[in-house]
Amino acid sequence: MAEISAKYEQLIHDLRQDFRPQREWGEGRGLFLVIGHFLVGVAAGAWLFGLLFDYPPGLFAGFLLAGIGGIAHLGFLGRPERFWKMARHVRTAWVARGFAGLTLFLAGAALYLPPLVFTAWPWQATSAIGWLGWLMAAAGMIILIVYMGFVYSASKGIPFWTSPLHPLLYMTYALRGGAAALLVAMAMLGVPREEMAQRLITIWIAITAFVIVIFILEMQGVLTSGNAAARRSAREMLSGRFAGYFYGGTLTLGLLVPLALLSGKLVPLSVAVLAAVGLLSALGDFFMKYTTIRAGIYAPLELRPVRMR
Amino acid sequence: MRWGMVIDLKRCIGCYGCQLACKAEHGTPPGVYYARVLKKEDGEYPTVRQFALPVLCNHCEDPPCVAACPTGASFKWEEDGIVDIDHDLCVGCRSCMMACPYTNRYFNDQPAHYFAQGMTPFEQARTERHQHNVVMKCNFCRDRVRAGKLPACVANCPTTARYFGDLDDPSSEISVLIKERGGFTLHPEAGTGPAVYYLPP
Repeated sequence: MAEISAKYEQLIHDLRQDFRPQREWGEGRGLFLVIGHFLVGVAAGAWLFGLLFDYPPGLFAGFLLAGIGGIAHLGFLGRPERFWKMARHVRTAWVARGFAGLTLFLAGAALYLPPLVFTAWPWQATSAIGWLGWLMAAAGMIILIVYMGFVYSASKGIPFWTSPLHPLLYMTYALRGGAAALLVAMAMLGVPREEMAQRLITIWIAITAFVIVIFILEMQGVLTSGNAAARRSAREMLSGRFAGYFYGGTLTLGLLVPLALLSGKLVPLSVAVLAAVGLLSALGDFFMKYTTIRAGIYAPLELRPVRMR
Repeated sequence: MRWGMVIDLKRCIGCYGCQLACKAEHGTPPGVYYARVLKKEDGEYPTVRQFALPVLCNHCEDPPCVAACPTGASFKWEEDGIVDIDHDLCVGCRSCMMACPYTNRYFNDQPAHYFAQGMTPFEQARTERHQHNVVMKCNFCRDRVRAGKLPACVANCPTTARYFGDLDDPSSEISVLIKERGGFTLHPEAGTGPAVYYLPP
């Protein structure tokens, strides 16, 4: 009862504010959604780089993370037992498209991966079933990389998320997360080829630079031409309630420390350093998504064309 | 036909009668408000005014909540334009809440009651039909409207600040009021085509 009462009082307090924060995504059970989105993005990126570098552990990591991400999504839903109904509205709903993409990805990966491990498996990775799995997983991967940002940019109630750059930002997070996952996998399982680690680090730095540029452009757009609610969200993120997560988690842990480690001036480069860079990069991305979601504020209800009579 | 509502802000005295009538009609649990009243201030000194702004679902022509719903639980009735929720389909993903520019959707996440001693018989009778862990919102009292009655908030407004009628009929009372008194909607920039109009205070 006390918990219900506290939540009720919080809602009443929120409803009285001009700038009402959204709490459904990111608070309480809503945290599962942030975790789910984060893991599924990393999974799709890991699969992509696993394919590009022909590195099966990256594929397995992608499959595992996507599975856990799917479970996290179920944990968020109010009625998880009805999850299968989410495929009904693929034509208009980005959440439905994401669900279809995740299903496709998991089913495809489940067909493609086993023959890579078990030589006595009923079909081979290069057989028709293996190729079908490869295609399904690749299609699912593309959907997972693309859909997430659009879930937010289609949320008209939260002006902070509706920037046209938001989908691009989420795509780059997925790629950065994938590169980070492969760095961790290589550190745990051994670096198969020296040039692979170097190329992956180069890719990680390039994507990180791209993320920084997109983020700055998005913030500049919000702060100069966004509406009052969007500007308030940006301020919450940069100098308000979530500034600690942003500066401590995203900027310091997710960007500055990995760059310092990769510079080789703090410690010599090693597999342990690669693992640390990958983990910190992923942690930074998680905080970025968390702060972006939590900083969401509903557009205030106000009368624009009021004429005083 | 398309049902719509006009709220005369000059007549509204902010008595919360609509909010309470709605609560009584639908038996909505604590934290769920199909209709609510905001108190607003407008203008600059010395020409300032405080007024009440009653809000509810806008039953949009192009509802973003319906487009965002992955299951089709949020839908629009073709015959009268009312935006409704099929609670048997709702998975509780709350994407409709994020899509609604008018913040008039609520998540009913757990059994709740208003009084410390527990649920009253009235609350029990009125809330047992509601599902938990689903999103809830105003449906223009569709059952009442289909029975030829006015929505509860309209019927119970003591200052008759609310009008209900057919937006598609240019001779209906609400169409005339919108035309003659400069009716406007909230967040017109969202491009959703709300069916709830306001007359200036």
